Amino acid sequence: MTTTADSLIPATDITDNQTVAVTVEGKNILICKANGDYYAVDNQCTHQRAELTNGRIRNCYLACPLHGVRFDLRTGMPKGELTRVPLKTYPVSVAEDGNLHLELD
Amino acid sequence: MSELIKVKQQGEERCEGISYQNLLDEETIEVPAYLREDTNPYMGDEDISVDRWISRDFHDKEKEKLWPKVWQMTCREEDIPEVGDHHIYEIIDQSIIVTRTGENEFKGFINSCLHRGRILRDCDGHADEFVCPFHGATWDINGEFKGIPCKWDFSHLDEKDMSLPQVKVGTWGGFIFINFDENCIPLDDYLSPLPEHFSRFPLHDYYKGAHVQREVQCNWKVGAEAFMESFHTLETHSEILTFTGDANSQYDTFGDHVSRSVTPMGIPSPHLPHVTEAETMRDILELSGRMATDSAEGHEMPEGITARTYVAETNREMFSEIIGESLDHATKSELEDAILYMLFPNTQVWTGYHGNIVYRFLPNGDDHNSCIFETMILLRYEKGTKRPDSAEKNILRPDQAFSEAPEIGGLGPVFDQDDSNMAAVQKGMIASRKGAVSLASYQESRIRHLHQSIDKYLNA
Repeated sequence: MTTTADSLIPATDITDNQTVAVTVEGKNILICKANGDYYAVDNQCTHQRAELTNGRIRNCYLACPLHGVRFDLRTGMPKGELTRVPLKTYPVSVAEDGNLHLELD
Repeated sequence: MSELIKVKQQGEERCEGISYQNLLDEETIEVPAYLREDTNPYMGDEDISVDRWISRDFHDKEKEKLWPKVWQMTCREEDIPEVGDHHIYEIIDQSIIVTRTGENEFKGFINSCLHRGRILRDCDGHADEFVCPFHGATWDINGEFKGIPCKWDFSHLDEKDMSLPQVKVGTWGGFIFINFDENCIPLDDYLSPLPEHFSRFPLHDYYKGAHVQREVQCNWKVGAEAFMESFHTLETHSEILTFTGDANSQYDTFGDHVSRSVTPMGIPSPHLPHVTEAETMRDILELSGRMATDSAEGHEMPEGITARTYVAETNREMFSEIIGESLDHATKSELEDAILYMLFPNTQVWTGYHGNIVYRFLPNGDDHNSCIFETMILLRYEKGTKRPDSAEKNILRPDQAFSEAPEIGGLGPVFDQDDSNMAAVQKGMIASRKGAVSLASYQESRIRHLHQSIDKYLNA
């Protein structure tokens, strides 16, 4: 079953290489923008469950602030040896009203 | 004939066809001094044992005496644009955290925790401080020790130097180099005469437009050598002979660390009679992968103009438009020839006003039968505009073809042809009963030069 969350935040509220944490259906989700595109991932590193809110985004990779694991925002796949577990990703799009629209599984 | 110069492009033993220096005589623009250099001291003609490429013992000698002593290119400055950004450079079994510590300052730290030895950083990225993921020992990005949890249990470390050990770091052309040897010669001396020869090509101002990497099943030197002579064009890349003066190439060596090949382009191979100027023009545009356009459609050469001149002028106009600067000072040679330098031991860079291609061949960890081949393309961008971001490295799977990397365009199919030899050379050397290779005196002189320079390190 798919849950959708409309009117999350205005798309213009988030700039490139920025993250915004939101709670949807009790889940802590991190909205990210990289190279002009929007991404949504679980706001929890798969290495040690650290929050990724202050993670740094470069070239479509989000780096965990704790030990630096980098996740590809497009696929959730991690780089390096610290974890092999991908970050869960969610489809996100800009709705007609200019707000971000998120789909949860 | 000079004893030192037994065989040279201008010597008695040479291929038919116009030499590179004679092509320079036809330039209408002042030829810069570096192109007029023509230096190839005779280095001998003895066979070279295949052990140098296939034996574990030779690999171990390189591990012990070569890699710990040479300056080696790690990455581009633009790969780590912000303070705290770092690249993990690995060579055989060594690991270095190459870190930007200031606007124009870089450091290289041994990637090993001083507590229990775990590598401190697993991959490239950014850090405000280096926290060991095992127990949390922490250093700032300048390598100063900041502490460890349960400090009460480590009072015995108070008197010890807990700064992260460093390697020597230097930069040139936007590349960051490291050297493990505390007493190495300065990078500037090591590079000479490269900076002088590249003075018209400020590589540090260019951006990395493409970066592709793939494992190849051959020793790193087999890989490097695939790009050090144009002799193989005849059999390996026969489709480019209509515009490549393969056997009329010039080969130069400069000291122990730099060599060069110059292959004239826009002229047909001396092996190929009866090629028309129109065929040369069409094929170089469509097949070389380095010209300003990759289509010959709509290109008609005016009467009396050679393909070499027509293509150089087309490149001059189009390259100049892209970068928003005049290229009136560029020679035809710099606009179309293949001018490829090698920096000992494993980095190769092209000059010229097309995209500047870079090759690097690294041993694949501690395996002497495979290597990591990387190619980057450094590009100019329009003056006054923001520098484009450095391209992310595209790591191909070992079973993928280079032509599956669209960002390197026409180079992909050429690399695939080279790739068809590399692993096969390694395999054939292992099977060899002769146990040695025989090099061409002149055309393969840069390979001999590479091995003689390696010997200087191994015998030091």
